[in-house]
Amino acid sequence: MIHTNRIRLGILALGIVLGSSLSSQAQQTTQPDTQQLRSYNVSRESFLLGTVVKFATASDTPPMGAHVILQTSSGQIDVHLGNPRVLQAGHLELNPGDSVRIVGETLALGDSTYFAARIVQKGTQAVAVRNTRGFLTTPASVMSPAQKEALRGVR
Amino acid sequence: MKRLLLMLAVAGALWSAACSGNGIVNPPPPVGKYTKASLNGQYAFVTNGESFTGGLSATPLARTGSFTADGLGNITTGVEDVNAPGMVSPALQITGGSYTVNADGRGTLTLQLGQNSIDFGIVLTSTSDGLMIDETSNSSQSSTGSGNFIKQSAGSFQVSGITGPYVFDFAGLDGSGNPESFVGEFTANNGAASAGFFDDNDNGTFSSGSFVGTIAQDATLSSFGRGIALIAGQNYVFYIVDSTRVRFISTNGGMLSGDAVAQSNTVPTNVSSVNSSFVLIVAGSSINGGITRVGRFTANGATVTNVLEDTNDGGHFIKTDSGTNASIALDAANPGRGTLTFTDPNFLNAPGKYVFYLSSATQGVIQEQTVNNSGAVDVADGTIAAQTGSPFSSSNISGTYALNWSGLSLQNSGSFNVQDEEDLLSQVNVTSLSLKGAADIFQFQNGVPVFDLVTSGSISIAGDGTSSTGASSRNTMSVKLTKSNSTTVNFVVYFVNPQLAFFTNNQDMNRIVAGVLKTQQ
Repeated sequence: MIHTNRIRLGILALGIVLGSSLSSQAQQTTQPDTQQLRSYNVSRESFLLGTVVKFATASDTPPMGAHVILQTSSGQIDVHLGNPRVLQAGHLELNPGDSVRIVGETLALGDSTYFAARIVQKGTQAVAVRNTRGFLTTPASVMSPAQKEALRGVR
Repeated sequence: MKRLLLMLAVAGALWSAACSGNGIVNPPPPVGKYTKASLNGQYAFVTNGESFTGGLSATPLARTGSFTADGLGNITTGVEDVNAPGMVSPALQITGGSYTVNADGRGTLTLQLGQNSIDFGIVLTSTSDGLMIDETSNSSQSSTGSGNFIKQSAGSFQVSGITGPYVFDFAGLDGSGNPESFVGEFTANNGAASAGFFDDNDNGTFSSGSFVGTIAQDATLSSFGRGIALIAGQNYVFYIVDSTRVRFISTNGGMLSGDAVAQSNTVPTNVSSVNSSFVLIVAGSSINGGITRVGRFTANGATVTNVLEDTNDGGHFIKTDSGTNASIALDAANPGRGTLTFTDPNFLNAPGKYVFYLSSATQGVIQEQTVNNSGAVDVADGTIAAQTGSPFSSSNISGTYALNWSGLSLQNSGSFNVQDEEDLLSQVNVTSLSLKGAADIFQFQNGVPVFDLVTSGSISIAGDGTSSTGASSRNTMSVKLTKSNSTTVNFVVYFVNPQLAFFTNNQDMNRIVAGVLKTQQ
């Protein structure tokens, strides 16, 4: 419940964020240097405008999580949306044909790149799936502090 | 030979008996030395995971507490502190409970909290400690998570006994729900924490510096080793295990938890005295999702060689077979603190950087500080430990082990697949590098844990990582879990010593887990 409330608060703040972010950024067209794309920087953000071709809560290609194939004026782009539960909690459904606006940036994973969404907007609904440092808005820590204690095996 | 054949025949009969007629396979009856009497006394426990009490999303959850087992299957008393970010439940009284211990050290633990109860699967690693996963699934809540429990020494419950330098790793979430890793050291003396120094990675923002704090006994609950601390401006509750270990959980400004471990006077003060191989494991959040890194290196003074590392970054697997410009350095001003750097030739613009705090010459905590293009690539921390006991082989990787992994996996939520926490706890007998045992697994999206999966698999040993052909000296492990159907998970394994190994999955982009294989004593 707390988590849901946090997401709702995030949604309220998105109007301001979108207003400043979208107006100042151009749609990404340049070829990225993958060596420079292993961290997230809001100053590099751009936005995609397009139509949902396919939405999947799981994908055959990493990163793990939900992906949407977006038809844009530049062609189809695979966008990583993170944990689909965040969209669900924000009551944002993506269906083929939906027009969406996605704020994010291109990141490198291995030798390839993908578009990492930070904000997904459909109509007046917007959900933050990453924070401004690029980390997914669901806790993604995969090993608990407690387990790390176990790993130490000190006893 | 006759005895071996007899044992095989008996094992075969037991295995056949374990296979029921409804397609569900159950493990054979457990064998071993453990009984209910093996869990007897006061234990400090921790788990970290998620809880679900309704609504659309699960909530992160950290528990730290103390329970008392009577050696007969009863929990007589205890207390726990719970932190779900933004909602702290302090000093919940454990009013009773029960437990079981099978001969193989597997068992169950139920803690009664008034009208409510929480359930755990346990595996004893000795009569003094064990691993646990939260398996609570009842009408009031579901919760999961991995953790452990360690026998407390009531004679050490005075704050005056917490004295000298301590190294800590507190990890979790900051006050805004963002990932945070907070590692460091302090010196305790009669309730004062001084000479503190920390390295913090809060949502990708690094900071470090000195701090002070206070440590005070809880007058009401001191019999549980409970106390209250202020560390670098943040409030914590703690439980004393003994004078060498204190378990902390934050009570404001987020959800951080972890242990502070006494620092021995064996920590190297000059880098020239560091001559050892080390294994490291870190885990946390990356910009691609979850991340685990397991690796090893050899330090000869400041010179670092034989770097091997395996990364699972959001389901993308990276093998680092060597490191250039590799070195370690020690911080003369802060004993035990140091840095490790190396560059994976494939990631020239993101040289790997770690800061570590050694609690002894062979143990410590470690935090990743790799930066690319002025930004942090992740928030991750974990353990560094000296690698000893090689060569590793079927002759020394043998006996019974507790096995635990935790992380994320793709799970079916009914209408669609979703990534959610996965925790597994198993006990396996390793013979000729083959694994046989039983496990519980909780894939949290399913709402209910699955008990008593038949666990099998194998370990493949290629070396300790010091081979000149580093890439070919990776050790692997496959674990097959069988109930009504089977799943096999494949791992890369780094042995710290024959009694302890760290692993992470190196296949399957829909799973990001890391874990520990730890011998039973």
